[in-house]
Amino acid sequence: MQIEKAKAEIDQLASAGTVVELVTLGVQPFVVVGGVEAPCPPWDRKVYEILIAIPVAYDLGTALDGFYLALPYKFQDGEHNRVNGQVVSFRNQDWKAVSWHYPDGKPFRLEVDNIESHIVHCRGFFLQRGAVNART
Amino acid sequence: MQELNLRITGADWERLRKHCAPSFRTRRDTEYGAIGLLGKRCVNGTIRELIVSEIVWPEAGDVLSQPHHALTFSSRYMRRAHMKVRTRKLAGLITFHTHPRANEAVSFSGYDDEQDPLLVENLQELSPGTLLSSVVLGKGSQQGRVWISPHKQVPIGNLVSVGSALRYLPLDGRPSRPAPAPSEIFDRALALTGSGALAVLAQRTVAVVGASGTGSLMCELLARAGCKRVLVIDHEVVKLVNLNRILYATAEDAELLRPKAEVLKRGIESLGLGCEVIAIVGTILDNDVMRLLSQADVVFGCVDKDYPRALLCKYVYQHLLPYIDVGAEIGGDEEGIVSADTRVNYVAPGRWCLRCTGLVTARRLAFESLTTPERKRKIALGYSDDLLLKQPAVMDLNMSAASNGMMLLRHLLQPFLLEPFPVTLAQNQVTYNLKAVASPRARNDACDICRNNAQYGFGDCGKPIGLPPEVAAALRSED
Repeated sequence: MQIEKAKAEIDQLASAGTVVELVTLGVQPFVVVGGVEAPCPPWDRKVYEILIAIPVAYDLGTALDGFYLALPYKFQDGEHNRVNGQVVSFRNQDWKAVSWHYPDGKPFRLEVDNIESHIVHCRGFFLQRGAVNART
Repeated sequence: MQELNLRITGADWERLRKHCAPSFRTRRDTEYGAIGLLGKRCVNGTIRELIVSEIVWPEAGDVLSQPHHALTFSSRYMRRAHMKVRTRKLAGLITFHTHPRANEAVSFSGYDDEQDPLLVENLQELSPGTLLSSVVLGKGSQQGRVWISPHKQVPIGNLVSVGSALRYLPLDGRPSRPAPAPSEIFDRALALTGSGALAVLAQRTVAVVGASGTGSLMCELLARAGCKRVLVIDHEVVKLVNLNRILYATAEDAELLRPKAEVLKRGIESLGLGCEVIAIVGTILDNDVMRLLSQADVVFGCVDKDYPRALLCKYVYQHLLPYIDVGAEIGGDEEGIVSADTRVNYVAPGRWCLRCTGLVTARRLAFESLTTPERKRKIALGYSDDLLLKQPAVMDLNMSAASNGMMLLRHLLQPFLLEPFPVTLAQNQVTYNLKAVASPRARNDACDICRNNAQYGFGDCGKPIGLPPEVAAALRSED
């Protein structure tokens, strides 16, 4: 198994109450995260599901980047300009890639960051920071 | 039957010799010793090498002196070491002890021959299959053996010490002897690499991962230096665009899509230097291919991706192998070319891995270890352009990198370069600057690849490294 560290982190998150599950699409691992809170409005609901791709070399020390958002969704009764990537189908649902990256000066840091902190980073998209990004 | 060797880090070997040195200095004839934990390397299920994963240094009261100054390890010390073997699922134990009066040759005593079978019987009663190896040290010689059962012992050929140098010391109890002179083909290299080092090179298998520009040159240099067995690993076939840099590749090879590794085998074996090439057509990401490195004594990395580099690092710390990574990079800006670098990194026990040196980055490793469809989705988002840049494919640059790699191997076999060898040796062809990078850019003292590898020296007792074939295939890009 190549992603034992990821599995351990997810088990720990699940036991702490986060709605989280490790799944594979083909051989590509993903984490499905439920219960991601969003202010409604401008979002069309209070809770979203997201999908995060886990590189198979995660245990060797890889960064995490971006996520997918379950469709359909609405932001300010329209679309968010950063939900602009390709669509992946999984569990009879379409998920669209969100262009939500770490800033150049604040990259994913191996010593401190992990799946949990990446989820926190992804949550930022639904909050003020994401809304500001939608306007710029 | 293939020779069985014992592998140990240079640091452990030096410390062990230092620990035992008083045995040869005093007139009291006191024996000194220590216990180590053993991993193993197997080829086709047969043990090829024993690996000293760790030496459990004795504490006060652990080493008992018997009449006539013979040494006995306390049962508490034995238990402590054996418990580590069991919890880590290692192959067994190794004992080292001195024979103080053995100034030249050394051999096991009657007491050793009596005690070792009793100890292995005891160990195997507790955990069937546990190996017991023992090494007796003289002042300038050493003898080694391994007990498969209380009634069967096998002699060990060489002690292989891996660190700032790569040393092969005979474990036959006799002092080192001068090596036979090499064939006249290699006569003129003797000024740089003596006959002893040449003999070692001739008897070892060197793996070259990547058979493209740099890899093909690396194989050529190895064959012409006197290496007699090269294991070449590459999954790609020759294409027309490769003909500017891959030795022996022809337009016909490109037309017939012949695998690079097989083309190289044909070319190198046709030189008449007696160098056998074992061509492996497969990706090093695949754990079935990675496993074939168990035949190798030295690894050269001639790949331009981070994921294989990171896996090779993981492998070499688990198997205590020397790994020389070579490559070339061209940097530019709006003004033009600012650097044309060739680079050599030496990864080995006691040295930093390529992640700590900053060569392997978390971002690139993540990108390369996504499946092809997921990587395409990532590319479509933008922000990955820098990760898509191809490494230069310029034969002159590749040649410089391969040449520096070969010089490093010569140095490991018979040191002649200034020590310590830098973390990275980079040569900028634009500025005529040879840069020795002394400290690792991304140093991590808790790095689980090098400094804090939980399977350090476990060899095949540790988890297999690499991906299941179907996962490896899913990661291979169309390059």
